[in-house]
Amino acid sequence: MIIYIIRRLLYTIPIVFGVLLLTFVLFTLVGGDISIEIAGKGASAATINEIRQEYGLNKPLFLSWDSQFVNHFKSALTFDFGRARDREPVIDKIKRGAGPSLALMVPIFVGTIIISVSLALIIAFLRGTVWDSLTVIICVAGMSIPYLSFILFGQYFLAYKWGLSPVFFSPDLSMAQYTALPILIGIVTGLGGEVRFYRTVMLDEMRSDYVRTAFAKGLSTRRVLFKHVLKNAMIPIITRVVLAIPFLFLGSLLLERFFGIPGLGYLMIEAIGSRDYFVINAMTYISAILFVIFNVITDICYAWVDPRVSFD
Amino acid sequence: MYLPPGIKNLSQKEFALKLSSVVFTAALLVIAGCEGAPSGEDANEAVIYAVMPSKIQGFDPGYTSGIYSAQVASEIFECLYQYHYLKRPYKLIPQLAEGMPEVSRDNLTYTIRIKKGIYFADDKCFADGKGRELKASDFVFAWKRIANIKYLSPNWWIFEHKILGLDEFREYTKSCKGQFDVDYSLGIEGLETPDDYTIVIRLKKPWPQIMYLLAFPPTAPIAKEAVDYYGKDIIRHPVGTGPFKLNVWNRGSYIELVKNPNFREEYYPSEGEEGDRENGFLADAGKRLPLVDKISWLIIEEEQPMWLQFLRGKLDASAIPKDSFGNAISPSRELTSDMKERNIRLVKIHDPDTYFIGFNMEDPVLGNNKPLRQAISCGYNRAGETELFWNNAWDVAYGFIPPMFEAYNPKIKEIGQRYDPEKANQLLKQAEKIYGGKLPKLRLTIGATDTQSRQLGQYNKRCLEEIGLEIELEFMDWPIFMEKLNTKSCQIFSVGWMADYPDTETFLQVFYSKNASPGPNHYNYSSKKFDEIYEKAVVMPNSPERTELYRQAEQTVLEDCPAVCALHRVRYILCHDWLGNYKGHVFPYGVWKYRKVDVTKRAAYKELLKKG
Repeated sequence: MIIYIIRRLLYTIPIVFGVLLLTFVLFTLVGGDISIEIAGKGASAATINEIRQEYGLNKPLFLSWDSQFVNHFKSALTFDFGRARDREPVIDKIKRGAGPSLALMVPIFVGTIIISVSLALIIAFLRGTVWDSLTVIICVAGMSIPYLSFILFGQYFLAYKWGLSPVFFSPDLSMAQYTALPILIGIVTGLGGEVRFYRTVMLDEMRSDYVRTAFAKGLSTRRVLFKHVLKNAMIPIITRVVLAIPFLFLGSLLLERFFGIPGLGYLMIEAIGSRDYFVINAMTYISAILFVIFNVITDICYAWVDPRVSFD
Repeated sequence: MYLPPGIKNLSQKEFALKLSSVVFTAALLVIAGCEGAPSGEDANEAVIYAVMPSKIQGFDPGYTSGIYSAQVASEIFECLYQYHYLKRPYKLIPQLAEGMPEVSRDNLTYTIRIKKGIYFADDKCFADGKGRELKASDFVFAWKRIANIKYLSPNWWIFEHKILGLDEFREYTKSCKGQFDVDYSLGIEGLETPDDYTIVIRLKKPWPQIMYLLAFPPTAPIAKEAVDYYGKDIIRHPVGTGPFKLNVWNRGSYIELVKNPNFREEYYPSEGEEGDRENGFLADAGKRLPLVDKISWLIIEEEQPMWLQFLRGKLDASAIPKDSFGNAISPSRELTSDMKERNIRLVKIHDPDTYFIGFNMEDPVLGNNKPLRQAISCGYNRAGETELFWNNAWDVAYGFIPPMFEAYNPKIKEIGQRYDPEKANQLLKQAEKIYGGKLPKLRLTIGATDTQSRQLGQYNKRCLEEIGLEIELEFMDWPIFMEKLNTKSCQIFSVGWMADYPDTETFLQVFYSKNASPGPNHYNYSSKKFDEIYEKAVVMPNSPERTELYRQAEQTVLEDCPAVCALHRVRYILCHDWLGNYKGHVFPYGVWKYRKVDVTKRAAYKELLKKG
C-alpha cells in the first residue's frame, strides 16, 4: 500500500508541473502585460519599465535560470507566493479567506451529504410511490432553477420580507448569524442533483440479489438499508464526496458575494478580474495539490470500504 | 418493477417522513433564531453606516489610486486645502494650511504656511506612542515619496514635469536598489522648508491647477516614522492628522473608522449656498467636527443586498439599483409614495464626467475622414441610451465640458453635437466619396465583459448600423483594453473621463497632442489650433479670458470630432432621514466629518419596520 501511495504521489509531479505551466501561459502570454494598468494614468515608459522590473516581467519567459517561468515554479514549490498587487502577502490573504470560506462550505457540504444520502435512501426505499415521483420532480426542478435565483429569492423573502435572518454581513453579528441563511441556500440548491445521484446509486443496489437475500433471511429494513445497501453504495459516494473536498477550499463565489462573506471564492474571482497573477497562481497551485492529495485518499478509501479492491 | 419484501412497511415510511421534516424544521429554526439574536451594537453611539461598492486598495494615499480608496483615506489624512462642504461652485479653503498661498508675480513660487499645533494620531510608530506635531517636511517627504520610482506610485502624474528638481530626484531614485534605500534628505530646488511651518514650492512653469491638487488626497503629508516602522505594510496602518483613525479593516467586508482624539478644533461651516439654510444644512453651524463617533463602511458589491440593507435601515444612504429604480423614483423624477412614507430623501449628484465613443485618429479609415466621424456623432442616439440603460436619469452631452464647470457653454445645445440621423446620412455619402467607395466594416471595442456593457455595445452597434455602417463588436477586460488603447490598436472605443478637480483643463488634457497614447489622449487627436489654445489657457489663472479659451478649445474639438460626446452621469442617492447634513459632493474627500446621525429616528424606523 505504501508503494502504491508513493507511486501515486509521484504521478502528482507532472500534474502539478502541467498546472503551473498552464497558469503561467494563460496569464503571462495570453493575458497581456499588467504593468501599464498598475502604472496609472499617463504613466511614462520609464515608470512602466520600473514596474516590469519590480514584478520581474522584464526577465526572459523560459530560457534562463532566472526566467519568469522558473521563478513562478520556484515560488510555488516554496509556497512563497510573494505579495499581491495591493502589497499584502498572498499567503496572508489565503489564510484570512480560508476561515470564512470553510465556515460556509463545510456545513453546506456536510449538510448536503447527510440530507441527500438520507433522502436518497428513503426515496429508494419508497421507489415507485407518489413520494418517489414527487421527489424526482422536485429534484429536477431544483436542478433547473439557476443558483442565483435561490440566492435572490432566499435573501429577499427569508431575510428581507420575513426577517428570519440578516440580509448581509455586519460586524456586530456572529459568524453563525450571518452564515446561517447562505448555508441553508447552499444546501437547498445542492440537494436536487445530489439526491438524484444518490437515489440512482441506491436503486442500483436495491435491485441486487443480496438485498433480496437479506430480506428473505428476515433482516429488518433498517439493517438491510444501513448495513448492506449503504455500505455497498459507498464507492460512488466516496468518489463524489472525497473529490468534492478540495473544492471547499475555493469557497462559493456567489454566496460569498451576495452575503458579504470574505472568503476565497470572492478572492479568486477578484484576482482574476484584476489580473492579480500572484493570487491566481497561489490559489490554482494549492487547489491542484489538494485535488491530487484527495484523489489518492479516494483510492485508499476504495480499498477500505471494498475488500475486492487491492493495491497491486 | 421488482419490489423487495418489506417495502409496504408503513412504520418505515412514517419514520422517513419524520426524519426529513425534522431536518428541515431544525434548519429553519436555526435561521429564524438569527435575526433576533443580541448584537454588539451600542444604540446611543453616533455611527454612520455607509456602503462601499468596491473593495479598497488600502490606506496609503500615495500608493492608492482608486476613488474609493481616496475617499476613505481622506477621512484619515488631510491636505493643505479642501473644498468648502456647502458652497457651489466648488471653492477651495485651507485645511492644514494657515491660509491661501502667497504666489509670486511670475506665478512660479508658492509659499504656504501650515497651521501650528496639528498632531498626527497616536501610533506605536512614534517614539512614545504619542502622535507628534505636523511639520512642513512631512509634505515634502510625501511628495518625494511619490516621485520615488521604486515606490511605484500611480500618482506621479500629479507632479511630473511640474516642480523644479523633482524630476531629477526621480531620476536619482532609479539608481537606488529598493524603495527604502532612497535618501529623502537630498535637497530639491523646488521644495524647500525654511522653517517647520513653511513650504516653498518653485515651479518649472505656471501651474494654476496646483491648488486643486493640493486638495487631492495623494498629496497629504505622511510621517516618515510610520513609513520606516511599517514598511510595505503601511498600506494598512494609516497614521494621519484627520478627524478619524482606522479601527478595523476587514478586507473584503468592512472598514471602521473612529474619532481621532488628537484631531484639532475644526468647526462646521456657517455659510453655504442659497437654500442651504432652508434645507437644514446650516443647523450645525459652528459645531465642532466630526459630528459622529464612528463610520462603518460595509463593502457590498451586489445591488440587491445593498438595496435590501438600505430598506431595512442597516445602511444610512444608498444608490438605487437599476431594476429597483421604478420602485423608488416616479416618472416625474420624484420619490415614490413608498419612499416618502419611509421618510427617505433623494439627493441628485451631477458628476463631473463625460462618456465618449472615441475614434483613433491614427486609424487610416477614420483619421482622414471627418464626415465619417461626424456621421457617427449624428447617428448616435444619446437620449435613447439614457432611456434604455440609465432610467432617463443621465444628461445628454452636447460637448465634453460637463454642466457644473464654469466653462460650460450655455449655448452648447445649439452649437454642440447632437442626434440627427438625416444629417448623418448626408455626411455618410460625403464620407464614402472621401474613402472612394463603400466604407469597410468598423470595429468598436468595449473595455468590459459584463452583461450591461455587452448590451450597451449592442445598442451602439445598432445605432450606427441604422445609418448604414457595418460594425463589428469586440469585448475585453479592462487591462487588455487599456493596453490596446495605449498601443493605439483600437479603431472605435467606448471610454469615460471623470474630472479630478473643478478646472476644465482636466478635460482639455485628453485632447492635447503631446498626451497621445500611452498618455490620456487615446484619440491620438492632434490639432495645431487646439494645442495653441490649450498651451495658452493651461498656464492662465482663472479669468473670463481663460473661460473663453476653454470654450474655443471645446468648439475646435467638437468640429474635428475625434470623439462622440455621449452622456454625463447623474447619480440618484437615497438617504434615510436620520442621516443629517448629507449634501451631494462630487469631490467627496473629507466630507464625512460634516455628516451626522439621529439615533432616535433610526430606532423609530426599526419600530416602523416591525409594525410592517
